[in-house]
Amino acid sequence: MMVGKEIEDIDAVMPRDAYNIGKDTPTFNVYLTVVVRDSEGKVVKVHRQRSHSPTANFIGLMLPLTYFAVTGNTYTIKTTGGSTYSYQPLNNNNSPCISYPNSSRSFPSYIVMIQVGSGQQPNPYTAYSLAAPIANGSGTGQLVYGQPMIPSNITVSGSSAYFAISQAFSNNSGGTVTITEVGIVTQIVLAASINSSSSFSGNILMWYDVLSSSISVPDGGSVTIYYTFTVNP
Amino acid sequence: MVTPDLVNEEEDITKLIIPDDLPDEQPAFKAYIEAKVYDKEGHLIQYHRQPMRSLTRYFLALMSIPILGTYQNASTNSAQNLLVNVLGLPSNITLGNGTANIYWDFSIQLGSGTQTFSPTLTGLAAPIANGTGTGQLVYSTISALYVGSSIIVLIQVSNSTSSAIPVTEIGLWGIVYTRAYTGASSYNFLLSYDTFSTAIQIPASGMAMFQITLSFTG
Repeated sequence: MMVGKEIEDIDAVMPRDAYNIGKDTPTFNVYLTVVVRDSEGKVVKVHRQRSHSPTANFIGLMLPLTYFAVTGNTYTIKTTGGSTYSYQPLNNNNSPCISYPNSSRSFPSYIVMIQVGSGQQPNPYTAYSLAAPIANGSGTGQLVYGQPMIPSNITVSGSSAYFAISQAFSNNSGGTVTITEVGIVTQIVLAASINSSSSFSGNILMWYDVLSSSISVPDGGSVTIYYTFTVNP
Repeated sequence: MVTPDLVNEEEDITKLIIPDDLPDEQPAFKAYIEAKVYDKEGHLIQYHRQPMRSLTRYFLALMSIPILGTYQNASTNSAQNLLVNVLGLPSNITLGNGTANIYWDFSIQLGSGTQTFSPTLTGLAAPIANGTGTGQLVYSTISALYVGSSIIVLIQVSNSTSSAIPVTEIGLWGIVYTRAYTGASSYNFLLSYDTFSTAIQIPASGMAMFQITLSFTG
C-alpha cells in the first residue's frame, strides 16, 4: 500500500478543532494536602494544592520495554546525590531492572520518605533533589521524620480510583520550622536476574512540588503531608 | 486556610486529600488518543483526536512501582501489598540463584463494542481480533517514543478484508513481567479504556495508525 505525503505532514490536513487547546479534562490528578497541628494536637492549618511535578526520573522509569528495545536508547536516571545511571530494561536475564522481592537476594526498592525542604527551584521536572532539604532531627531548623504510610490497596469510588501516601513530621527544634518544598524519594535498586549482585542502588526523587504558600510548623507541633494519586477525579 | 479541628478525622481527611474545590491549573498529566485513517492508496481520509478520559486502577498500580518501590520497606523481603492485591503479583519469588526484577511494556487493542467505564475494567467489550478474517484487523508491532516529557504509544493496523471495519473502543494494555533467572512471568492489565466519540471507519484494504500520548507536566 502506498502511503501518501500526508503521513509525513499531518499538520497540513489536521482539522483546526483537533489541536490541543488546553481545555481537555485531565484523567489523572495528584493532590498535595498538608495538615499542621500545634503542640496540643489541634489542627491550625490545612493547605491543599494540585501537585504538578512528576520528575524526569519518574517518567524515565515509566517508559515501556518497547521504547528501549526498538530505539536501543538508554535513559539517564539521577540520584539525589547527583550520580547517574543509564537505565535500559530489556526482556532478558542480563538487563538490570527494578528489583523484586525474592528468596535468594534482597535488594530492596522501596519508598524512603516524603522529604520536606526550605528552598525552591525553578524547574521541578529536572529536579533530582530538594533545593534545601530539612534534616531529620531535633536541632534548629530540623524536623523529626516519621515513617511513610503506604496503602495496601487502591480505593475505587464510582468511576474514580485513588491511593494516598502520607508521612508525619514533628517539630522538636525549639522554634518554628518553615516548609516550602516537598518531594517523594524512593530507593531504586537495579539488578539483572542472572546476577547475585546489583548494578545500581540509589535514592531517586520521583515527585517534587514547590508549595504555593509556605507552611510554618510551630515548635512542639507536627505536620502531616498527604500525596493523593487519583484517576478520573 | 485555618480550619476548626477535624471532628471525624478519618472522614475529614478523606475529603481533604481528594479536594474538589481547587482552581483549574496545569495538571500533572494529560492523555490523548489520535487516529489517522488511510485509504488503500495511502491517502489520509480521517483524522480523529480526543482526550483520554478513563484510566483504570491498574494504571495507578503500575505507576505506584517507581513511587512506592516494589518492597514494603528496607527490611521486609515482601512485595508492596498494593501490587499483590491489585495486580496479583507474587509477594515473593522463590528462586535458587541470581535475583528477581520487574519491568513492563505497553500495547494497544481496538474493539467494536462499547461498555460503561469502571476503574476495575479488565477488557474491551468486543475486541477486534488480529487476523484477516471478517471483522478482523492485522495488528503491526507496537512502537513507543519518548518526546519531551511525553510517552507515545503507537500501533498500525491494516484491514485486509473486503469490508470497512468500524472501531468504537480502544484500550491501552500494560504487560508486567516479573523475571527470575529461570524465566519470566507476565501479567496483563487494561490501563485505560475509551470509546470514540465517533466511530473510526477503516476501509477495505485501508490502514490506520492509533496513537496514545501520555503527557506529563514536564
